[in-house]
Amino acid sequence: MKKINVLVVGNPNCGKTTLFNALTGSKLKVANWPGVTVEKKEATIPYEDYELTLIDTPGIYSLTSYSIEEKVTRKALIEDEIDVVLNILDASSLERNLYLTLQLLEFGKPVVIALNMMDIISEQGMEIDLHRLPELLSNMPVVPVSATKKHGIDILLHAIVHHYEEQNSEISFHYSKDIEACIDKIEVMMSAHYPEHDFRRWHAIKLLEGDEDVSEEHPIPVHKTIPHSYETKMIEEKYQYIEMIVKEVLFHKERKSVITDHVDRFLTGTITGPLAFLAILCFVFLLTFSVGDFVKQGFEIVIEQFSNSVGFLLDAMHVHVLVKSLVVDGIIAGVGGILTFLPNIIILFIALAILEDSGYMSRVAYVMDAIMGKVGLSGKAFLPMILGFGCSVPAIMATRTLEQERDRKRTMFITPFMSCSAKLPIYVLFADMFFGKFATIAAFSMYVMGVLIAILVAFITHKCSKDKSINCLLIELPEYKKPNVRSIRIYVWGKVKDYLIKAGTTIFLASIIIWGVLNLGPSGFVDNPRDSFGAMIGHFMVPILKPAGLGMWEIGVALISGLSAKEVVVSSLHVLLSSGAQSEMAKTSIIMEAIQTNIPGFNWLNALSFMAFSLLYVPCAATVATIQKESKSWKFTAFVVLFQLGLAYLVSVLIYQLGSLIF
Amino acid sequence: MIISIKGHGEYMKLSEAITGNYYKVVEILHSDLVGKRMNALGLTSKTSIYIFHKKRNGTMIIKVRGTRLAIGKPIADGILVKEILHEEN
Repeated sequence: MKKINVLVVGNPNCGKTTLFNALTGSKLKVANWPGVTVEKKEATIPYEDYELTLIDTPGIYSLTSYSIEEKVTRKALIEDEIDVVLNILDASSLERNLYLTLQLLEFGKPVVIALNMMDIISEQGMEIDLHRLPELLSNMPVVPVSATKKHGIDILLHAIVHHYEEQNSEISFHYSKDIEACIDKIEVMMSAHYPEHDFRRWHAIKLLEGDEDVSEEHPIPVHKTIPHSYETKMIEEKYQYIEMIVKEVLFHKERKSVITDHVDRFLTGTITGPLAFLAILCFVFLLTFSVGDFVKQGFEIVIEQFSNSVGFLLDAMHVHVLVKSLVVDGIIAGVGGILTFLPNIIILFIALAILEDSGYMSRVAYVMDAIMGKVGLSGKAFLPMILGFGCSVPAIMATRTLEQERDRKRTMFITPFMSCSAKLPIYVLFADMFFGKFATIAAFSMYVMGVLIAILVAFITHKCSKDKSINCLLIELPEYKKPNVRSIRIYVWGKVKDYLIKAGTTIFLASIIIWGVLNLGPSGFVDNPRDSFGAMIGHFMVPILKPAGLGMWEIGVALISGLSAKEVVVSSLHVLLSSGAQSEMAKTSIIMEAIQTNIPGFNWLNALSFMAFSLLYVPCAATVATIQKESKSWKFTAFVVLFQLGLAYLVSVLIYQLGSLIF
Repeated sequence: MIISIKGHGEYMKLSEAITGNYYKVVEILHSDLVGKRMNALGLTSKTSIYIFHKKRNGTMIIKVRGTRLAIGKPIADGILVKEILHEEN
C-alpha cells in the first residue's frame, strides 16, 4: 500500500472541520502541534490501493508568519513530508479564499482544491464555471463538494490520489515583470547559498516580501540588491489576479447573501442586536438549568441507587467497613456528585456548538464590543464569562476562541467569579437559614456581585497592565448556515469525554483524599470526624476565619472540602453538623442551631460573608486543572488561586467588619 | 472631515464613513501586524467597501470582496477611503 500524506488547509469558517470529519469519520487522533497549544488532528483512511493520512491544520487567511496558526501550517508544509495539499475553499466567499490558494500554489507542492458550500452558491442563484477555474489555477483539480451533505467525497479522494501520481506543479500566476526579475535574482542567490534547497521560488518570494522567519533562517543580503519591500505590491497583484479569476468564473455575483443580510440587520442592529443577544442568553440558561436540572434529578436517582447496590454488594461480600466507606462515601459520593452535572454540561455545549456552527458567535463579539472595550477586552471575551454561570470548566475552555494569549489569560482570570451552578446550593442553604423572606434576593445578589467583581478586576488589571495596546476587533462574520448535526455531535462528545476522563482521574483522587482526611486521625480510623485530621486542619483555620465572622472549625473543613467541588461545601456541612436528622427540613434547622451555638450571634451578616467567600475563593479542582491545562502555566495557575483566595478573604472580612460597624 | 489631496481627489477616514454607502480604499496607514492581517483579509488599496452597519462607538461591519468583517474604530481610523457611487471592480 502506498502512503500519501495530505495536509488539509483552509480559511477559518470554510467548513474545514466538517469536511475533515466527513472524510475521516471519527477515526481521529488528536494531539497538539509541537511547542504550541494549537490542536493537531490526524486520521488515516484507506482508499483504493493507498493509505491516506489526513492532517488537519488550523484555519488561516494567509501563509505569512504573523500568527501561531500560520506558523504551524507553514512549518508542516516545509518540514513534514506532505505529498498533497488539500485546500478547502468556501465557494460562497471565493474571492477572499483564493488568496490563500495562490499562496499555496506558490509553494510548488501538488494542490487539490475542494470547493465547499456549493449548495449555498446555488441557493443564492450564483454559478461557478468549473472548467475555467482550474485553468486559471495551474490546472489543479477543483472538486465541488458539500461537507454537510457528504457530496463529492469520493471524487475528492480520487482527485488526491490521481493528482499525487501525476505530480503536476506548474505555475499559472506570475507577478509583474519587475517583481519576477527580483524573484529570479533571489532564486540565483538561493541556489548559490543553498544548492540543496527545495521550494526555491517560494523562499525567494518570501525573502522579497521580507518575511521575518524565512529571512532569519536564510540570511541572504537580499536588500542590498533590492532596495525596498515589495510586500504590499505583491499582495495587491495577487488580489488583482483573483479579481480577474472571479470575473471569469463567478456568475450572478450581485445576488449574493440576501438571507444573511436580513438576519444581520436584526441580530447586529443597534437596538435589536443586544436585545436578541439577551434573549438568546436567557434561552440557553433556561435550557441548561431547567431541562438540565430535570435530567440531573434522574441522574441523581440512578447514582443513589447505584451507590446503594454497591453498598449491599460490599456488605454481602463481607468486606471491611473501612473499604465500604471508602468506596461508597468517598469515591461514589465524590465522583457521582460530579457526574450528576453531566446533563447540564451536555446541554450547555450543544447550545454553544449550535451558536458557533451557525455563525452567530462572531456577531456576539460585535454586539458586546463597546462594553468589553471599556475594560480592555474585546467583545469576544464576553462569551466565556456567560458560560461561567453554568460551569467554569467549559467556560475556561471557551477562552480558546480568543486570539491573544493576554486576553485569554485575563478572561480565565475573571471567569471563575461568575456564579457557577455548583455555588447555588450554598447560596440557597444560607439564604434560607438567615435571610427569611429576603432569601431569593440574597441569593441573586451573589450573581450580581460576581459579575461586578469580574468587571472590576478586569478593569483594574487593564489599568495596571504595561501592555496598553488597543484591543481591536477584527473578525470575519461568516454566512449563517444550518448547524451540522455531525459536527455538533463530534464536538460535544469530545467535551463529554474530557469531562468523564477528569471525573475518573482528578475527581476520583480528590474524593479519596477528602474521605481520608475526614475519616483518619492521629489514632488511625476514627468514628467521629471531630477526631480526624480534617478537624485538626479546621481548628487551625478558626483564628484565620474569625475576622470574617466564620470562626468555626466545621466551616473551615467545609470550605477546604469545597476545593474538590463547590457542591461539597454543602454536603460537608450536612455530614459534619446534621448527623442524626430525620428529614431535610430538620437538617437545615439542626445546622442553623449548631452554627449559632458555636458562633453566638451568627446572623445574616455572617451568612453574607460566607456566601461571598464561597463565591470568590479558589474555584473547584476541575477548574484549577482546566486553567492549568489551558494556560500551560503553573505560575499563572498558582497566581490565580492565591489572588482569588486573597480577594475572597478580603471581601468577606470587609463585609463582616463594616457590616458590624453599621448594623 | 474631507481632505483634498493632489492626485487622490477627496478622501476621508473609513471611521467617518456612513452606513449604506460605498467607498474605495485610497491607502492603508497601518504598517504593523494589523495592516498585514487586513491585507490578507482582502483589504488592499483600490478595494471597494460597503458599510453594512456602524455603531455609535465606531465599531462597524463592512463588506469587502464578498465577505463581512467587523472592525473596531482604531482600525477604521487607519484606512483612508473615498466615496464612490456603487461597487467597482
